[in-house]
Amino acid sequence: MQLTSEQVATFLLSISLMLLMAKLFGELFTKMKQPAIIGEIIAGILLGPTVLGMLSPDTFNWLFPSDTSLKVALDGITTLAVVLLLLVSGLEVDLSVVLKYRRTALSTSVVGIIVPFAMGFGLSYLYPQLMGLTNPDMRLVFSLFIGTAISISSLPIIAKILIDLKIFKTQIGFIIISAAMLNDVIGWLIFSLILGMMDAAGHGFTFAETLFLTLFFVLVVLLVIRRFTNKAVPWIQNNLSFPGGILNFILILGFIGAAFTEFIGIHAILGAFILGIAIGDSVHLKEQTREIIQQFITNIFAPLFFVSIGLRVNFIENFDLSIVLILLILAFVGKVTGCGLGAKLGGLKKNDALAVGFGMSSSGAMGIIIGLLALQYGLIENNLFVGLVIMALFTSMTGAPLMNFFLKERKKYSLENLLNPQLTFYTDVNTKEEIIDFLSGIAGKNLKSNSVEISKEVLAREKTNATGIANYLAIPHARIKSSRPIIITAINKKGIDFDSSDKTPSKIIILLLTPLGENELQLRLLAEIVKKFRDKEKVEELLNIKNEKEFIEKLKK
Amino acid sequence: MEHSFKKLGLAITSSPTGIALLKEAKRLKDIFNAELFLIHVEEKTPEAEKSLKSIIDNSGLSFQDTQLIWASGDPANTILNTSKNAGVDLLVAGALEKEGFIKYYIGSVARKIMRESSSSLLILKEPSQNPKPFKKFYVATDFSFESERTIRMTYNFALLEKAEEFVIVRDYDTPGLASTILDSVSIDELETVKKQWQNEEEEKLRMFIKELNLKGLEIKTCCLYGKEGWETSNFVRQNKGDIFALTAPRKRLKLIDRIFHHQLEYSFEKLPSNLLLIR
Repeated sequence: MQLTSEQVATFLLSISLMLLMAKLFGELFTKMKQPAIIGEIIAGILLGPTVLGMLSPDTFNWLFPSDTSLKVALDGITTLAVVLLLLVSGLEVDLSVVLKYRRTALSTSVVGIIVPFAMGFGLSYLYPQLMGLTNPDMRLVFSLFIGTAISISSLPIIAKILIDLKIFKTQIGFIIISAAMLNDVIGWLIFSLILGMMDAAGHGFTFAETLFLTLFFVLVVLLVIRRFTNKAVPWIQNNLSFPGGILNFILILGFIGAAFTEFIGIHAILGAFILGIAIGDSVHLKEQTREIIQQFITNIFAPLFFVSIGLRVNFIENFDLSIVLILLILAFVGKVTGCGLGAKLGGLKKNDALAVGFGMSSSGAMGIIIGLLALQYGLIENNLFVGLVIMALFTSMTGAPLMNFFLKERKKYSLENLLNPQLTFYTDVNTKEEIIDFLSGIAGKNLKSNSVEISKEVLAREKTNATGIANYLAIPHARIKSSRPIIITAINKKGIDFDSSDKTPSKIIILLLTPLGENELQLRLLAEIVKKFRDKEKVEELLNIKNEKEFIEKLKK
Repeated sequence: MEHSFKKLGLAITSSPTGIALLKEAKRLKDIFNAELFLIHVEEKTPEAEKSLKSIIDNSGLSFQDTQLIWASGDPANTILNTSKNAGVDLLVAGALEKEGFIKYYIGSVARKIMRESSSSLLILKEPSQNPKPFKKFYVATDFSFESERTIRMTYNFALLEKAEEFVIVRDYDTPGLASTILDSVSIDELETVKKQWQNEEEEKLRMFIKELNLKGLEIKTCCLYGKEGWETSNFVRQNKGDIFALTAPRKRLKLIDRIFHHQLEYSFEKLPSNLLLIR
């Protein structure tokens, strides 16, 4: 069978329309500070049976014919897109960072899977009709699937939220990232095994065989193939054309892996994902390569895939409010309690743990992919699929604001928030000891801890190394037993000798106290304060101010 | 806290590298003004004793300067236990052959010592018959309290050696970053964020060094973006460092750390230079 020239033209036209709409709406949502994927899905809904199909069925049927080889062609592209999406997701999974934060990452992701999984599984097993199960024989597999669909998280959305909240490169950021990575690995393994269980591909393997082959595959790829790719990657990058050679290599290996897992009766995605992990682990893989391949998938395959979601079903006809609500409740309650509890067990404080919980609740692209595969295998009906897509979109939108809300406490630790006019004083003392005693007294009162101890710590620190910095500044500091950092500022009438590098006595004395064990926080705050005092003229202007509030305002500028 | 080594231990064999190792150990013993324990894992027979004596004589060490301990059993465990019992605070050993695939996961004697030693460790990549002072020192830091100590110990060592170069290297990674492209982050935005992070890291490193208040030798710094552990290791290799100092992890490294590459494993797997592991 061959496509006619007219069919080819229609096909190309529909693809260009999909890309156009995806880009328009994707950009629109990005401008609105929302994940682009939401816009892309909406573009599909507009082009699909929901809107275009209603308004002008003829145009819709002409663009997206439902029973010809064109549909097969489009399905081919979506399959390719899913495999590629999983391949690049795998590339970004870094098992060594997961290992580094293993305690918190492991408990966050494992408890974060168990709780929502149990809730989703339990509810659908007990009340399958509620979730729209039509084939009673599939009750077990169906319930397992719902459990998995509820537990999956989306790394790209989570990573983007972390960048926007400026906490990507902090400990809590790394914990969330590593938990999300581990969540993906466990989630996709479970999902693949569910597909294996129902023998979706019809290869006739028993479940035990599938399980064995899957584990064998994962082990071989992670232990053997990974070492091979680590050797191959630098060779390819040095000897073949860049980035062509390496992109080619990644795609070839990814597709072979995908073909293998498809063959053993679980879906192609797992193979692509695991191969992605193995390749992405190579220390030689350039950051540039990662970015290029992400660009390539993001701008071609991802939009086609997300738009195609809206083309498949009528979102209005299949909208079932009770299913949507149940899924949303399951997703929030399950994911937030699960991940939050896991993070708490892993040693985080309550608010941080809740922030992790809400951050991990975004299921994004992964939730949609998992739903689509289940739909294709006939495991779920259109109404549940629509519910899953809405759940994925909704949780992706709410992740950032909810997480931000619970991270407020932590954000207070920025220099901007720690500089406080109420903790700023005009003083008139003569010695270093006097000023440190005074500042420690205020700190002690504020932190509700012993100011004599604080002053002792600060003076001990003073003895080892002078804290006078140039331009009238001194930053006496210490790490103390406290749950939060504090900054107290004194502007002293006379200069006090803090052994500054420029030999000028210090007039602005900033006491910085940080919790024990938070070395990086101390270094960051010290660095930020010093940066503010680089310009001598600005410091002299500061010294002319006679009011605490104005002083802090000027300092913050 | 004293930042020097008082009791050196050396695991020796009666091989040509054995003599070189003894000569290196003698030099270290002299510069640290420390005691030296020689640990030899072999059945004590007259022949073995004779050949060991000739090696020790050859190295310029005298039996009065050192304590020779004969021990038998599984080499790695015996060396580790004996040096622990003797209170050794720096164990010196020669690097062994490069590991093959299977060996990598199972581990050789040298790697076992690296992963499990309870004292600090100096692994000499190519012990020389004419040992020379180490000139280029590199230290990795993650700003932790433990790594402060590593820097102080290494700095002291560098001062004793009258080193020419002392570089503190920090590497940091942001795994998963490229995935945000899928959520419409442009490459320009990524570059901006990365640049900010780089500045922040450099500034922190400067403050960190200022806090350490070390005097006597100029300290250079370097911040590297990339896979943690590997970037620094590679940097030291490219710059032909003489000593690469690392902080030993709080917990002993296990098989899982090899499978998923603990950051130290990059340096263990392929030694970038002589390795000083501070515990």
